[in-house]
Amino acid sequence: MQETFDAPDPRRFEVSRATLWFDRLMGWLIRCGGIAVILAVFGILYFVAKEVVPLFRGATVAEAGSAQLPPDAKVLGVDEWGTTAFSYHGGSTVHFTEIATGTRHEHSLAGFEDADITACSFDPVRARVAVGTANGRVGSFVVRFERKADDSGGFEVVPRVESEPWFRLEHGSGSVTAVSDGDSGATRLVAVKRGEGASANVAILRLGMKRGLVGKGKLTLLGEHDVTPLLGSEARLLRASQNGMAALIACADGGVRYLLADAGGVSLRQTFEPFADSVPLSMDFLFGGVSAILTGPGGIQEQWSLFRGSEDAERLFGRTKSFPALGDAVPVFAASQRNRTFLTSDDDGGVALRHSTSGDTRWEGEVGIDPALAVMDAKGEHFLVADARGGLRRFHVHDPHPEAGWRAFFGKVWYEGGSGPVWQWQSTGGSDDFEPKFSMMPLIFGSLKGTAYAMLFSVPVALLAAVFSAAFLPQEFKRVIKPLMEIMASLPSVVLGFLAGLWLAPILETRVPSVLAILVLLPLTALAAGFLWCRLPIRVRNRIAPGSEWWLVLPVLALAGWTGWIAGPLVESWCFTCTDPATGGTIADFRLWWPQATGTAFEQRNSLVLGFMMGFAVIPVIFTIAEDALSNVPRSLTSAAAALGASRWHVVRTILLPVASAGIFSALMIGFGRAVGETMIMVMATGNTPITEWNLFNGMRTLSANIAVELPEASVGSTHYRALFLGAVVLFAMTFVMNTAAELLRQRLRERNRIV
Amino acid sequence: MDAPHHIGAGPFATTGRSRQGEPWVWLTAAGLTLGVLMALGLFVLILVKGAASFWPRSVERIEIRQDSATTVIAGIITQENERRATDGTLHQQIQIFRGNRDLSGEAFVYLDRKDITATTRPESMLVLERLEYGPAIVEAVALETGGTRVAAEDPAFANELERLLDEGRRLRKQLLRVERRDIGAVSRELEELDRAQRGGTVATQEAAPRRVALEARFEKLRAEALRIRSQLSAATFVGVTADDRELRMATGDLLDVFAPNQAGWTGRLGETLRRVWKFLVENPREANTEGGVFPAIFGTVVMTLVMSLFVTPFGVIAAIYLREYARQGLLVRIVRVCVNNLAGVPSIVFGVFGLAFFVYFVGGFVDRSLYADRLPTPTFGTPGILWASLTLALLTLPVLIVATEEALGAVPRGVREAALACGASKWQMIQRVVLPASLPGILTGIILAMARGAGEVAPLMLVGVVKLAPSLPVDTIAPFIHPERKFMHLGFHIYDLGFQSPDAEAAKPMVFATALLLILVVVILNLAAILIRNRIRKRFATSSF
Repeated sequence: MQETFDAPDPRRFEVSRATLWFDRLMGWLIRCGGIAVILAVFGILYFVAKEVVPLFRGATVAEAGSAQLPPDAKVLGVDEWGTTAFSYHGGSTVHFTEIATGTRHEHSLAGFEDADITACSFDPVRARVAVGTANGRVGSFVVRFERKADDSGGFEVVPRVESEPWFRLEHGSGSVTAVSDGDSGATRLVAVKRGEGASANVAILRLGMKRGLVGKGKLTLLGEHDVTPLLGSEARLLRASQNGMAALIACADGGVRYLLADAGGVSLRQTFEPFADSVPLSMDFLFGGVSAILTGPGGIQEQWSLFRGSEDAERLFGRTKSFPALGDAVPVFAASQRNRTFLTSDDDGGVALRHSTSGDTRWEGEVGIDPALAVMDAKGEHFLVADARGGLRRFHVHDPHPEAGWRAFFGKVWYEGGSGPVWQWQSTGGSDDFEPKFSMMPLIFGSLKGTAYAMLFSVPVALLAAVFSAAFLPQEFKRVIKPLMEIMASLPSVVLGFLAGLWLAPILETRVPSVLAILVLLPLTALAAGFLWCRLPIRVRNRIAPGSEWWLVLPVLALAGWTGWIAGPLVESWCFTCTDPATGGTIADFRLWWPQATGTAFEQRNSLVLGFMMGFAVIPVIFTIAEDALSNVPRSLTSAAAALGASRWHVVRTILLPVASAGIFSALMIGFGRAVGETMIMVMATGNTPITEWNLFNGMRTLSANIAVELPEASVGSTHYRALFLGAVVLFAMTFVMNTAAELLRQRLRERNRIV
Repeated sequence: MDAPHHIGAGPFATTGRSRQGEPWVWLTAAGLTLGVLMALGLFVLILVKGAASFWPRSVERIEIRQDSATTVIAGIITQENERRATDGTLHQQIQIFRGNRDLSGEAFVYLDRKDITATTRPESMLVLERLEYGPAIVEAVALETGGTRVAAEDPAFANELERLLDEGRRLRKQLLRVERRDIGAVSRELEELDRAQRGGTVATQEAAPRRVALEARFEKLRAEALRIRSQLSAATFVGVTADDRELRMATGDLLDVFAPNQAGWTGRLGETLRRVWKFLVENPREANTEGGVFPAIFGTVVMTLVMSLFVTPFGVIAAIYLREYARQGLLVRIVRVCVNNLAGVPSIVFGVFGLAFFVYFVGGFVDRSLYADRLPTPTFGTPGILWASLTLALLTLPVLIVATEEALGAVPRGVREAALACGASKWQMIQRVVLPASLPGILTGIILAMARGAGEVAPLMLVGVVKLAPSLPVDTIAPFIHPERKFMHLGFHIYDLGFQSPDAEAAKPMVFATALLLILVVVILNLAAILIRNRIRKRFATSSF
């Protein structure tokens, strides 16, 4: 005890354990936090990309049960949920087979008892089987399914069969050899062939529903038209379209006839020869009834669609796509009732799911049997194939994004109804059979166009300002102007967008010539002012300190602006006169002149307005970074140049600009990044039409605006939703590449200046 | 700071007088001037237009002669411009706001200057602010209450009107309380009862009497609301428009009456201030084109505060890690490039990420685990203020990291070494020396992040902002803070008013006023940041290390 008074306890100099422990804890915490933040940053890319990946996956197909049908089925169908198959064999009964259990039961068709069926066909959209008999009668029946909850909590599918009236054909003789039925819901069209060979006869029946006040209407014959004389050759394949208005008939001479039915009767609109003089092996309409898939000799598969060749021409068929060849056998075909996917088989038992929009094969594989019939269910979740002996297999299809793919997003696609392959974005349409158009290209183009016009205005202003501020501006003004620019950079873009769309656009709409005049006058007057100023006597110039040019030029600029504004209408009346379509007189109006002179549109919300307003967002960004780069050029260099007698502009041109060039370049790239990603100005000032034109006087739709406008309404997980995410990834990639390059450049510049 | 660059300045300067290249110098000067003019012009424009939207302007009574027929119209001149007719002649066109949308359809009319034969400013013209159909511009005729009628010429008229206006205010407040709070509470209880019954926690026989009691209460409250409503329409204001049409309306629908032509300069200033106040504290009416923006201000403030609550700790910790703990090597350099890059990633991409990650991934998970009884109606699995704040926190993170790193780097090495030499541990050194010294810099970063966050709109459109939120994210109903609610925002208010409003022309003053408010917020935040930064610079410039 006594010794402690002599020497201090060595423990006094030890750091307290709590401190050490706390230090370690904090160090650990901060490391974790820091790394977590950095991970979060990369998580952004991960989560956005995760939503996009499923777009580029093909379909997955898995076998889901098999069953045995009676052999030699003529027609194979299935219910909406893919649980119960039905087959028709040409008698007075329909066979239903539950695939899960294999149980089979029959339904007899009323009115079919004494019919000798010689031809039949199936329309999966209406679940209707059309039949023809040996004595020249045409009839049909519809299969309906109802889902009822059963006792065990599951569902039971209850089928029902409804026979429809018979119609006796007036034209031709002999038995019916082919029949095809199309139904628009209001009218039906039945194409019927009687007899074979040279005596064969083709008639088209038009049927209509007479609507009663109560209950279902009565099916009546609107007319029977003998079209044999129109064909001029023996018909081989008949296909009525799903809209009940048209039929395609492939004839023995290889020509396919396009017949259109309307109130006036049936007329031949077009004859096309898809495979020279060979008859197509198969010919089937796709979902929507606008396109048909034709298979030719050797299994060449082609899509023919209705479109207008020119603005006022009639809608006729034309070849829009070809698919890989299948082989010589007649392929089995089944179209989806949800989208433009179709199933087709090749000659050695393989089956492929193809999508007509992108032309991609979604899935290819073996089904284990030699398919003779195939059908896809209404939800697009299953397809069924059956062989000639009645072996049936069910396959489950998982293909949530059939419209997607590299070609659909970035390639030119020939959409239905279009007159050529185009880049187009149109995500939603009015009807169920709308073909969505998901090309990223018009949006990327729009982003680049908006950015280009923004940069065209901002870059000169920002760089000139940066040079003056870094090289000539006295320090006391610089202290005010730099923060002013910083505040300008942080202006909410929604305010800029609103000003552009609601305030500036209406003003500039009638004053385009004035704006153009000002754009030319401003730089010229500034140059002229400088030219005249330095010719003033030195005594006058000495009164003004160097670096004051920025306010000396102010009245000159004001004068130039005023002159331009006034001169605009004069310029308009000299240069931009055109004939007024309303009165026929001559009128000086740029808004009318521009479309007449260039053939492109003039819109109120155009790139001119956009470019100017984007300046408020982009100029401060470029200015700040470029100014920093210019200010950081070592003073020894500029002073040396000045000491050697270079004029002040000479110093800027030969020393300042070359040394800071990398920094200026990085400023431009960061400005580009800011402009590409700008959203609110783009949404509010561009009109948002996805067009691909460089026209200064119309708008665009940018990637960013597209996301902001459409994402709140896209349903989660849909192709549309994921396509918008893809847009975000593209946007991210564009700015990421630009910013990284800019950052690397800036770092290199810093190194170089250190060496200097 | 570097010394100024003044090439050509100083005692030996001759180059400033050289003629070579001088025009180019002037061109650069023009560039700078143009940039400065653009910035200042924008501020002035918003300031003037925004302030003008509050200023009560005179009502003009205009006589027009068109095709030998004379019509009279009274209204406020809102715009004058030139319009070119189809024959190429220029016309002086004026736009007049005449109000009375219920009587005459369009609230705005366009007149040709040459058709006007006379303009007067009668003192008796009143501008009525109403609950419906926007303002009315009329002359008062009488007030009718039950059987009594007070004519406008009666000296008691002014007092009676004032009394009825006051009573209307009181009754409307009462009505709001009954309809919003009391009836809302009852229907919430009913809803909970439903859920409990579905979930099986409350038996049916137990629930039935409670339901009956609640429904009885609901009926009583509805009767109460009906009674207040009938009181509100007890008195009628009768007025006459300039074109001699009679306007009759319940005084309960009358919010305010102002006679601009009678008011002097001070009266108008008072009215302006009153309008500014109402703009700040009232709820919006009539598809947001009338009334105030209080919910939008509230939403913006709450969202920004919650955002800074998230961004501050993470930003500061990340910066401390990068600057003080991480080994300065290739990895840190890459990370720094990435953080800088993140600042350049378009804000809409953050919105897309917020929707995918916060709303659907995290929110969906929270719903499945905590609010499973409410599914399929989402609670957190839908855009809301919490997700919006988190998304913006991520968006502003790089701003704060960069600012904090700069501030930490500016703390002189000597100070750190002195602290360590005194025996401080690393954390003690950071906590007691480095952080206090860099606090102003960090504060600058936070303020800049708040300014960025307050002005951002595009990502919010995806993660939680709505045109009209029925209730605030913080209120008096337990649990008081509702992070799952959607909210209103000043920036989105501008977009919505200007581009989604049924009558964009009528909404314009409101848009300018809102824009002014938003700009003021952002500029004040930025100025604060700049001032703090300048003070730090001075302090470090004079420090003796």
